[in-house]
Amino acid sequence: MKTVMPLGIASLILAGASAAHADPIEITDQAGREVVLEKPAERVASIPMPMASTLIAIDGGVEKQVGMNPVAKQAVLDGILGKIYPEARDIPSDITAPNFIPNVEELAATNPDLVIQWADRGNDLVDPITNAGLTTMLISYGTEEKARDYMTMSAVAMGRDDRIGPLIEWREEVASDIADKAAAIDDADKPKVLYLLRAQETLKASGAKNNYNTWYIELAGGKSASADLEANGVTINPEQIAAWNPDVILLNNFESDISPERIYEDPILSLTNAAQNHKVYRMPLGGYRWDPPNTESPLTWMWLAELLHPDVFDYDLRAEMKDAYAKIYDYDLTEDDIDGILWTDLNEGAANYEQFKAKS
Amino acid sequence: MSDVTAGARLHGGSGALRAGVFVGLFAALFAALIFAIGAGRFAVSPGRIAEIIFAWMAAPSAPLENIDERIVLLVRMPRVLIAAVSGAALAVGGAALQGVFRNPLVSQQVLGISQGAAFGGALAILLGYAGVTLLGLAFIFGLAALVIVGLLARINGRTEIVTVILSGMVVGALFSALVSVVQFVADPNTSLPAIVYWLMGSFSTATWARFWLGLPGLAIGIVAVWLFRYRLNLLALEDTEARSLGVNPDRERWFIFIATALMTATSVAIAGIIGWIGLVIPHAARILVGEDHRVLIPASAILGATYLTFVDTLARTLTSAEIPLGVLTALIGAPVFGLLLRRHFSKANQP
Repeated sequence: MKTVMPLGIASLILAGASAAHADPIEITDQAGREVVLEKPAERVASIPMPMASTLIAIDGGVEKQVGMNPVAKQAVLDGILGKIYPEARDIPSDITAPNFIPNVEELAATNPDLVIQWADRGNDLVDPITNAGLTTMLISYGTEEKARDYMTMSAVAMGRDDRIGPLIEWREEVASDIADKAAAIDDADKPKVLYLLRAQETLKASGAKNNYNTWYIELAGGKSASADLEANGVTINPEQIAAWNPDVILLNNFESDISPERIYEDPILSLTNAAQNHKVYRMPLGGYRWDPPNTESPLTWMWLAELLHPDVFDYDLRAEMKDAYAKIYDYDLTEDDIDGILWTDLNEGAANYEQFKAKS
Repeated sequence: MSDVTAGARLHGGSGALRAGVFVGLFAALFAALIFAIGAGRFAVSPGRIAEIIFAWMAAPSAPLENIDERIVLLVRMPRVLIAAVSGAALAVGGAALQGVFRNPLVSQQVLGISQGAAFGGALAILLGYAGVTLLGLAFIFGLAALVIVGLLARINGRTEIVTVILSGMVVGALFSALVSVVQFVADPNTSLPAIVYWLMGSFSTATWARFWLGLPGLAIGIVAVWLFRYRLNLLALEDTEARSLGVNPDRERWFIFIATALMTATSVAIAGIIGWIGLVIPHAARILVGEDHRVLIPASAILGATYLTFVDTLARTLTSAEIPLGVLTALIGAPVFGLLLRRHFSKANQP
């Protein structure tokens, strides 16, 4: 089999303008396992949710996706990616239950070259896949480093080394640019920012350890209001938020109906500095939710930096978004698309949000 | 337990001593309520709290401008009251079931009511419902669990205690499996965490609206059992004896069952499964006031209210994060229950 392949691979590599070698691809995944692919994966099935949009972004298309998490697929279809790639609706999503337990027979039936699964949710989620003889790559989630790692790994596995380099460089450039400018900000001028992972009914927040939200809050010249929590995603009561008294509240995108009104109407939360000064924002929703790490993260950082310190930073977010979407998805964002991603309707009237309006 | 010791315990303790016990219980409840209102993550001085409460009692509809006023009156007050009433209802429900089954080891969870209500509630969350619908579904499935247990356990017109408990385990397991099915199909980003946290039990979303939502079910249940306190003593006798005293045991049992299902389902709907209260509190109350349901029911109510108020205060104040209440009650309840089991069987084995 292998002796017949080189021609096919060569033409493929020409098309992808990738490093031209016929050697097997060897990757050490985020569980420390060796993953060997005879050739770049053409058929990828992804079980973790953020991977669906990440793989589409890295590949710049949906052709190589042969299966994804049903919840991730719904998110893709509901969001801007569904508009950019209408063919995503045909991707099978019965390869896994929403809770990441794979349906191995369905998975095998899609005949994937590579299956991507979580590294840190136990072997029970992994063994059935490897036992079925499918090549499996495990990823882990939480920090910027991990995100860059698994993005690079996925790109290498798909033979798209050419696409990932610029994406990582972009992350590095934006991060260091923001860090340089934020270095001049006095500690006393850094607002206390509270990211609410859940807010509709129960209130959930995260501590500072191994937490991505805290990382970019600090990057953008803020302080985490909930830094004294020990764990990530734990339930807190409104009284605790009153005691922290955050200057800015960021609302998640996991709850599809959440809006800043939830905070403004709450008898306790409406008295926090954030609500009093109209600094409650719903985080944008692009190709993926902007709150966790994803391929569009630099836009999240710019968005937050502009909100916290509009006098220090001067990014033209709408132009940056157009640029990024053209590069990542080869898509020309309309003004309406941008308004939708930034929730300009829900965030209408919030402090410093004027700057993100379309210039007419 | 022989009739002689039962009779002695039924009438045990003089009236004065019993009155003293109740004074002590009320004092403990009052102390727990004061402690609960005063404790919290947001610092409000005791003097200021008293000032806020007196101002509120003088003018209940005055607008609350300050954050400390709102925290005391809109966050702590409804939460403390919900915890107290739920604690009372769970303890009374447990005491009533133990009386009806003449077995001190049954509770709402052993009979599958909690699991049935949990399934109803989880289903409601999955379907995106809250409030009255969640409460309604929890009640329907809690009662359904109880009915199934009743039907399963009734063999040849007789209901043996052992078959009731085994049936309860069967039905509880069935509804636990159904809860797992709901969790399996739930979206891990949205409804699943909500279901998981709710099942662990918490009053963290307490508001006045939720208090008023839960109060009718809990209060009706408590009052119904309290009105039945004399009959409970009769139901605790053998059926033939009870019949000779003019009681229809089957019908009256069902009255207690429905009242208990109502209380359990309501508490599950507003705060998830809070285990062990219905098992442990009636035992503690029995040690204090004896087996007579006329005093056991009110004593259980006060003790349950005190205990749950206190434990919930720990849950919300020990760390910045809320500790799930079910975790604390189980951590305290399981070892206590183990000791009670030993005590029960070492007594039962005495000649």
